[in-house]
Amino acid sequence: MNRETELTLVGRLRQGEADAFDEVYAAFNKPLFTFLIRLSRRRDVAEDLHEETWLRLVTHAGRLQADTRLGPWLFTVARNLHVSYRRSRALEESAAAGLTGLWPFSPRETSPFEETAANELERRIERALANLPTTSREVLLLVAVSGLDQSEVADICGITPSALRQRLHRARELLADALERDAVHPPVLEGAPPCPSR
Amino acid sequence: MSEPLIRRLGELPAAEPDIRRTEHIRKRCHAHLARQRRRSLVSSLPPLGRRTTGERLAPVWQTGIAVLGFVYLAEVIRFALGVFSLT
Repeated sequence: MNRETELTLVGRLRQGEADAFDEVYAAFNKPLFTFLIRLSRRRDVAEDLHEETWLRLVTHAGRLQADTRLGPWLFTVARNLHVSYRRSRALEESAAAGLTGLWPFSPRETSPFEETAANELERRIERALANLPTTSREVLLLVAVSGLDQSEVADICGITPSALRQRLHRARELLADALERDAVHPPVLEGAPPCPSR
Repeated sequence: MSEPLIRRLGELPAAEPDIRRTEHIRKRCHAHLARQRRRSLVSSLPPLGRRTTGERLAPVWQTGIAVLGFVYLAEVIRFALGVFSLT
C-alpha cells in the first residue's frame, strides 16, 4: 500500500466509510493475525486479540490523525493488547510450546497452511521462534515477518532505534543458537515410535 | 548466519484466519462504523429541530418579566418624584 493510498484510506476511515475499512482489512488482516498467532503461540488468544485490534481501529477511526500510518498503528495496538494479555494472565516466559501449541488447529482438519508448514526447516524455525523470549520474538516478527521499518518497530515497542538494534541483534543470536541446538538434539515428537537404539 | 535467517523468517507462510471469524469481525466493525456515522449525523443536526416546549417559550416569558420590571421601575421613579413634590 503506497503512502498516498494510505492517506486517502485514513481520510475515508475518519469519515466512517465501510468500504475504506474493507480495504484496510484486506491489506492487514492476514499479516496482523500471523503476527499475533506467532507472538501469542495460541490460536484462541490470537483470534481474540485480532478481533479486539480491529474493533479498536473502528472505535478510534474518527479520531485518527490525518497522517496516521495504518500498519504501525495496527501492530502497535496488537502488540499492546498482547502485553496486557500477558500481564493479566502472568504467562510464563519459559513455557515452551510444542508445534501443537504453536499452531493449535483442529487435528482433524489439514489446512493449506499446515501442509506448507510441514517443511522441516520451517518447522525448526517455527519451533525455535516459539521458544524465544517474547521481547526477542516480537522484534523478529515485526522486522522480518511483518516487513515494517526498524524505526516503526522501535516506535511500536516503545524503545529507541539503538535499543531496537541491540534487541534485534540479541534475538538473532538466540534464534541461531536455538536452531543449532535443535539440529544437534531434535525434539522427540509425541507419539513417535521408540528409537531402535534404545 | 543471521541475515539468511531473517530472510527465512520473512518467507515463513502466513497464518490463515478462520473465514467465518474473519467475516464476523468485518460485520462487527461495519456495524460499529454505521452506529458512529448515525451518531455523528444526529449531533450535526441544527438544534432548532430538537428544542423542547420550555425552550421555545423562554423568549416569551423573558420578555414579559422585562416589561413588568420596566413598569415597576417607572412606578418607583414616579412615586419618588411625588414624594419630593417634583411632579
